[in-house]
Amino acid sequence: MSGPVLAAVLAQAAPLAACLTILIGLRARPRAAAGLATLSLVVALGATAYLVVVVAVPNVHWVAQTTWLPVADGPALAFGVFFDPLAATMSFVVAFITLAVMVYSLGYMAGDPGFARYFGFLALFAWAMLGLVLASNLLQVLVFWELVGLASFLLIGFWFEQSAPAAAARKAFLMTRVGDVGFLLGVLLLVRALGNATISDVVAAAGPAGVFSPRFTTTVALLLLMGVIGKSAQGPLFTWLPDAMEGPTPVSALLHSATMVAAGVFLVARLHGFFAAAPEVMRGLLWLALVTALATATMAMVAEDIKRVLAYSTISQLGYMLMALAAGSVTAGFFHLTTHAGFKALLFMASGIFIHHAHSNDMRVIATKQPRSQRAGVIGLVSGSLALAGVIPFSGYFSKEAVLTTLGQHAGTAALALAYLGAGLTAYYTFRMVFLTVGQGAAGRRAVGAVGDAVGSGQDHAPNAGDRAMASVVLVLSVLTLVLGYLGGWLGARLGHEGVEHGPFALGAGPLVALALVAAGIALAWVEFGRRGAARAGFAERVPALRDFFGDNWYVDRLYGATLVRWGTALSRAARWHDHTVLDGASDGVASGAVWGGRILARVQAGYVQAYVAVAISLIAALGVWLVRRGGLP
Amino acid sequence: MTVASYLFVAACLFGIGLYGLLQRRSLVAMLIALELMLAAVSINVVALTTLAGRDGSLGQVVALILVGVAAAEAAIALSLFVAIHRARHTIDVEQLSELTG
Amino acid sequence: MVFAGSAAIALFGALLAVGLKNIFHNILGFALAMLGVAGVFLSLGSDFLAAVFVLVYVGAVAIAMVYAVMLSYPLDLPQRRRSVPKIAAAALLAAIVTGVLWLVVRRAPWPPPLGAPDDVAAAQTGYRFLTDYVLAFELISVLLVVAMMGAVMVARRTREGGSGR
Repeated sequence: MSGPVLAAVLAQAAPLAACLTILIGLRARPRAAAGLATLSLVVALGATAYLVVVVAVPNVHWVAQTTWLPVADGPALAFGVFFDPLAATMSFVVAFITLAVMVYSLGYMAGDPGFARYFGFLALFAWAMLGLVLASNLLQVLVFWELVGLASFLLIGFWFEQSAPAAAARKAFLMTRVGDVGFLLGVLLLVRALGNATISDVVAAAGPAGVFSPRFTTTVALLLLMGVIGKSAQGPLFTWLPDAMEGPTPVSALLHSATMVAAGVFLVARLHGFFAAAPEVMRGLLWLALVTALATATMAMVAEDIKRVLAYSTISQLGYMLMALAAGSVTAGFFHLTTHAGFKALLFMASGIFIHHAHSNDMRVIATKQPRSQRAGVIGLVSGSLALAGVIPFSGYFSKEAVLTTLGQHAGTAALALAYLGAGLTAYYTFRMVFLTVGQGAAGRRAVGAVGDAVGSGQDHAPNAGDRAMASVVLVLSVLTLVLGYLGGWLGARLGHEGVEHGPFALGAGPLVALALVAAGIALAWVEFGRRGAARAGFAERVPALRDFFGDNWYVDRLYGATLVRWGTALSRAARWHDHTVLDGASDGVASGAVWGGRILARVQAGYVQAYVAVAISLIAALGVWLVRRGGLP
Repeated sequence: MTVASYLFVAACLFGIGLYGLLQRRSLVAMLIALELMLAAVSINVVALTTLAGRDGSLGQVVALILVGVAAAEAAIALSLFVAIHRARHTIDVEQLSELTG
Repeated sequence: MVFAGSAAIALFGALLAVGLKNIFHNILGFALAMLGVAGVFLSLGSDFLAAVFVLVYVGAVAIAMVYAVMLSYPLDLPQRRRSVPKIAAAALLAAIVTGVLWLVVRRAPWPPPLGAPDDVAAAQTGYRFLTDYVLAFELISVLLVVAMMGAVMVARRTREGGSGR
């Protein structure tokens, strides 16, 4: 096995080994478990860093496959690794964020009884995510796709003794499952058509010289996109992500902002050649992502829970990534994925510091618990928010600019205008969050004192090692948000795709408009929430109809509850009735029929002489009749 | 009279006796019916040997043996009924069956 | 003529014997039926057999039945209700059997009647008993002795009030 392939295998094997060891043997030794998991991620990080460095030349990829399941007359199922600059970079991002989250969790999850189990699950996730990124064929991707879904289920429902996390985990799993059905069908169609599902073969077959008809490519693209929509919480399948915030905050930082939900985006980027052959599908995806981005931005504007604001924001930004990919630029979409991974994880972890301190997710409660005393948290929150809103020179500005430029070039003015609107809303809700939590001096805190006092005071103790772990991770990531923006050009060159034509550093008309909108959004937020004596109620919150509509997931969950959930429950009740009454009844009926038959037969042996006589006589009579008809004895 | 008419009569008598055997509850009534059946058989034998066979005395011999057997059986049966009544205080055949069914 | 009347009496008596409710009426019907059967034997020319029938059945068996009824019948208890299904089934089965027998009789090729049968002399019967069928004769006598002894033993009342020995 050559060096790079070995590194790719090692990057997956290390977390897998850690996961198995922890879950099997180390459950009672939390510190050993945490240490092992972190160590395995360090190994993985080194391996992926090597990959990134080695795969220096664009448009070159490495493949190593072995036949895993030879089927007699059919396709042989293969299993292997495949990486090009895209996959190498993504794997590095995954490893890096996972390691950061693990270090952060040493502080955040300290004292939890399931500490070892938590790190085992995190290692499981790392293995599954890296496997997904480095997979060589789509069946393998599907396997790891489901595995990350499993890890998400286990981690969202980590505190399974309570009903809300358990329900949220179920909802997440089931909703993504709906999308995965489409994904599976698409992969099966490909396997049937091609004989295997190797990514390079699939992309080649859809190309101009390939064997797929446009109709076939469109159908398969639609099916694969169902999986993307489910996993990346777009369109009708988005409501699981806000509920997934029931999980621990580091989990939200890792899975539901930076990596797992980005798997859908990654898939589209990876199969870009394939999707390019189905332009109508891409057009539909663009508009779906755009609508999702705007809708979830409105939902973020009225949310009270800090994590929910960030969840809606994630869905919105995923929409931006998918828009860029649909418009044709892998570089822009992937660049935004990378910067988003950095600053969204940062935002979650910073909010985690506040949540840990105030014992509450509610922003107004956090505001009353001296949030400004958490220096690292403040720094993280502010820098992450500046990146999310897209303020120069933070990383988010550059990537968002790349996205908007791509839209301007390929998507038409209507889409571009709506995207700009979304950018303004993003700035607004982001800084609403900032001002509501840390924007209050002493006077503001007094104004909301009534809310906070009911909850009780936050923890007051000297910073310990756990707090230092959390703070250091947050600070490192904050620095990154300043640095990452400048890597856009390097990334574009590496990926070798047609990138953004004039780089993101140029300040042309487009970027200026965007910056103006961002400034307007921040200003509105300051007016409503930030300045002294502000009413602390947003324009959307003042209108009760809007507040209810935006706050309740645009009533999508209610729609599902009234239709699908009700039908599903009715169906399951009918099935249960059938099982109890028909099936159990039938088997019980057989048993009681046997008993009844036995009782009847037992009457033959009742010691009842007249019955005996009757039987004997009737048999003899029958014999007589038979003899008469035969004409006598032989 | 043809032999067939005697046999018809015997068959009717047999049927009546069978009806009584199957239907009556009292043991004595069942015995009465049984005796009727035996009498019908005797008629059969005598009629056949006298009218359709060659040796009428053979039929008489058989019939006399039948009478003896029937008498002996009736005697024993009746004393059994008395003993049963002494033990169970009933001679209702439906109450005397001990096997549960 | 003798045959027709005797047959009618026999069947009528049999119906009384199985149909009536009172057990004594049944016994009387039985006696009547046996008289009828004796008449049938007479019409067949078997005087001795007819006499034996009257002596044994009417004179002995019926009387013994009366005694047994008086010793064992719960005459003071109310009669139990007769169940209709039982009556129907028994009647059906009896009718079927009778029908089958009729069928057999009708189908068989009987030789033409030879006119009135000759009387069979009782002496002829006795001669048969003591020569060709002497074994049967002896067995019958043994059987009768055993039956007598058995009947006495079974019905005997012991000192404790039970039956048998």
